[in-house]
Amino acid sequence: MLFSYLLATGVTTGALYALVAVGLVICYRTTGHINFAHGELFMVGGYIAFSMHVLMHVPYVYALILAVVSSGLLGLICDRAVFRPLISAPPMAMVIATVALSFLLRGAARVIWGGLGEYVPFPPIVDPSPISFWGIAIFPQQLIVVASVAVCMLFITLFFRSTRVGKTMKAVAESPRASYLVGIKVEKVYALTWMLSAALAAVSAVLMAPLTQLTPDIGFGLLLKAFAATILGGLGSMPGAVVGGLVVGICESFSAGYISSSLQEVMAFIIIMAVLIVRPTGLFGAPSAREV
Amino acid sequence: MKKSICILYSTLLVAGVALQPISASAQDGITSTTIKIGTMGALSGPLAPIIVPQFNAIEAVFEEANAAGGIHGRKILFVREDDECLPSKGVGAVRKLIHEVKPFIIVGGGCSNAAIAQKPEIIAAKMPWIITAATADALSEPANPYIFTSMSTAWSETYGMLQYAIDQGKTRIAVVWQPDAWGKARLEPLKEALKQKGITPIAIEEVAVEPSDLTPTALKLKSLNPDAVLMLLYPKAAVPFLRDSAKIGMQPLSIGGSPLVEIDLMAKGAGSADAVKNVRIVAAPGFGVDDPQVAKWKERIEKRFGDRFNLYHLFGVAGGQFAVEALKRAGPNPTREKIIEVMSNLQTTVDVYAGPVKCTPTDHQCHKTLGIFALKDGRVSGVGSTTPTR
Amino acid sequence: MAAGVLLIALVPLFLSPYYIFVANLILIYIILAIGLNIVLGYAGQLSFSNGAIFGIGAYATGLLRLDYGCPYWLALPLGTLTATVLGILVALPALRLKGHYLALASIAFAQSTIWILVHWDGLTHGTSGFVLEPVEFSLIGLNSHAGMLYLSLAAAIVCVVMASNILQSPVGRAFVAIRESEHAASALAIDLTRYKIYAYGISSLYAGVAGGLFVGVVGAVVPDQFGLFQIVLQFCMVFVGGVGSLWGSVVGAVLIISSQELMRGFQQYQEFGFGVLLLVIILFFPSGIVGFLKLRVGGWQEPLRHYFKARG
Repeated sequence: MLFSYLLATGVTTGALYALVAVGLVICYRTTGHINFAHGELFMVGGYIAFSMHVLMHVPYVYALILAVVSSGLLGLICDRAVFRPLISAPPMAMVIATVALSFLLRGAARVIWGGLGEYVPFPPIVDPSPISFWGIAIFPQQLIVVASVAVCMLFITLFFRSTRVGKTMKAVAESPRASYLVGIKVEKVYALTWMLSAALAAVSAVLMAPLTQLTPDIGFGLLLKAFAATILGGLGSMPGAVVGGLVVGICESFSAGYISSSLQEVMAFIIIMAVLIVRPTGLFGAPSAREV
Repeated sequence: MKKSICILYSTLLVAGVALQPISASAQDGITSTTIKIGTMGALSGPLAPIIVPQFNAIEAVFEEANAAGGIHGRKILFVREDDECLPSKGVGAVRKLIHEVKPFIIVGGGCSNAAIAQKPEIIAAKMPWIITAATADALSEPANPYIFTSMSTAWSETYGMLQYAIDQGKTRIAVVWQPDAWGKARLEPLKEALKQKGITPIAIEEVAVEPSDLTPTALKLKSLNPDAVLMLLYPKAAVPFLRDSAKIGMQPLSIGGSPLVEIDLMAKGAGSADAVKNVRIVAAPGFGVDDPQVAKWKERIEKRFGDRFNLYHLFGVAGGQFAVEALKRAGPNPTREKIIEVMSNLQTTVDVYAGPVKCTPTDHQCHKTLGIFALKDGRVSGVGSTTPTR
Repeated sequence: MAAGVLLIALVPLFLSPYYIFVANLILIYIILAIGLNIVLGYAGQLSFSNGAIFGIGAYATGLLRLDYGCPYWLALPLGTLTATVLGILVALPALRLKGHYLALASIAFAQSTIWILVHWDGLTHGTSGFVLEPVEFSLIGLNSHAGMLYLSLAAAIVCVVMASNILQSPVGRAFVAIRESEHAASALAIDLTRYKIYAYGISSLYAGVAGGLFVGVVGAVVPDQFGLFQIVLQFCMVFVGGVGSLWGSVVGAVLIISSQELMRGFQQYQEFGFGVLLLVIILFFPSGIVGFLKLRVGGWQEPLRHYFKARG
């Protein structure tokens, strides 16, 4: 009984971590940089949806679309303002710049939205009465999360495999120089990457908002869990990120349930440190040519 | 050349600073037309949403007093310093207040983490301090001459919560708590209270401060079959707890403290009014935020500050009114010693509490009458009051 | 430097305990910033763990004083030693990590440290932290505030001089070589491991001293004090002043702490403001103030590398 509940929770939160992690991986694969502000993009996307749906009473679907689009725009702005100027700088510059960006966004969110998300929660999409699934009670929102994540993953895989844009992004990921020579507008691809990454973060936020409360500080913790997921799966591997996300979610859930609830917060850190020390390439990662 | 310029400038700077008069006014903070009152609290950072409303409410009370002519003809000036709820910033804030701003008294301070660092400085400076929302027992115990609190303290709320459970005939009592400074400051007195009443709790469960899912905790408790759960939690944790407990069909009498008094919002977060049907809150205020008794403050504060009126404003109103009353009774020529004497013997009513605010020379924990709340017909309603004793 | 020392030494005579406190904080952060600069700016290791080591130093010194009856003059060096040893131990597994892997691992370590400080209740007093008695300096006739200030001043002077010497020695040159290119450095038979350990060791030592002084000045510690904002603040100091420049750290610490205090009226914009500041520095002034001055004011002695080109 406990086991099934823990598994259900683990899979739900794991699916969310997976989606956020995939956004991170897309950015990393194409540009070679990790965006330390990714968690804050998630948080801002969530707040934009919150503002629209809860404060301005925009219908849910429109709020979702608007939030995703706004997030994409924010991603574009970040590309222009932060990423583009630092393309050829050492990785340290990008890391610090994105850390600075994360604080910028966090501070701005705190000023704009303050404690609002705690007082007025984000309502669930459908009637929240629990439904019984093989003997355990699950909130419909949890099912929606898992289903949505699966659908997103499907879209993303198709995107990269079959569409022209997707293939272009893959080409840039392989070799920016070669892509440039072939006439691909590398800068546009980078911009697109940031937009896509931010949009994915917003989708995850909207899915998760009814299950947790929205505060300006959730970004950072989520970022670390997404890192744990990507590193576990192998930095640069999308299926790896998904598996990694599920593993992190399940580990958190089981350690909280069977050992101690305080382990939940620290599980992601333990995973990060363990993986980086023991097997930095993760479970699925190939030793990437993008060695830093 | 550069070096000499450097030395010249530094000397000038030092001289300029040195020549400032070292003020030693007879009574700091009081002029013929103003009384300066200071406060320190988290104006920035994660705890700002809890602290800033309090200060806004205190200011609203002071503005009302000023509009009525002030206190013995003097208007109150309210000065706020930020301490981000951290000791390092807290020491800076309190020193700036004491040595640079020099208020007459300090009303406010909200955060235990910073307050524990500020307490020694306040005592050393002999500065009267009315604490309006920090509940840590360590701040007002043992009683010292300078520190008063107009907020119920941790022990009184936890004793009150336990007493309520006992009064309802519950014997299988479980405790859930959050492992932060606030939660810890509640768990200790609760354990004492349990011991005093000879009750062994069937479980003491720790939950994360910001959990997304508390089904495991709810399951653990369900298997132990409690008839009452004492929630030493803030809404961030209480809402998932109530939601997930309802989900698995475990809904014993669930008793919470002051931070959970907005039961209607918790119901929204937990999904429905059904999830909070067995929730009772033993809290410092005497009235819910929608109660007509406090409507005047709600309207005034929302208009003046644009805040959404919440329970933290209530604590500010209480502290502000306590201060104003004390200042009035201290007479037209107040000194710090005088106001301390007044406060040590003060009994007065404030608009937001169910009972009087009463201090004695040996007991500076001035608020003991707590309200009991439940959700009735979608509104937070008072269903009683209690005055816990130890 | 002499002018600065004179300035600070005179503070307790003329200014209130508030200014003594601010000056003391500045000194502590100078030490922290120099330590961070050594590992970040000189040895080029992108490590975010300085805040955690700072915390360990503060806790070690504080707990030795509080729970084990050590007088402060003994607790401070012991606490520093604890922080240094732990800092080196923790750095060992991270030696072969680079770039954002190192950043990630160090952030994870820093967060875990806070978690331990919070949850190892029995040792650390948990989330509510602890309070200490003020440090007594009556033996040398000073009150606690002035005494701590002069102690911090002495420590800061020692740290600056020591750092200056190290950086001008072969060790310092090895650091710079590692920063510029690890491959080239190892080709020059520089033992990467050994020098990286030196860098981490020195910065841990500095962070440990700063932590011990911090607990003496503030008199209270809580785990929240040493989170991510702490390290971002330190990064701001290093970059504003000039990464890779010793005096840059000093300038950065003075400027950042002063602006924090001056900006007390605009508290809610603090996070936003420092984020913007750091971003602007990285984008437009990557070599910080010192780098800027070096271009404009002739005759700057310090061998400051033009650390990286932002508009390449």
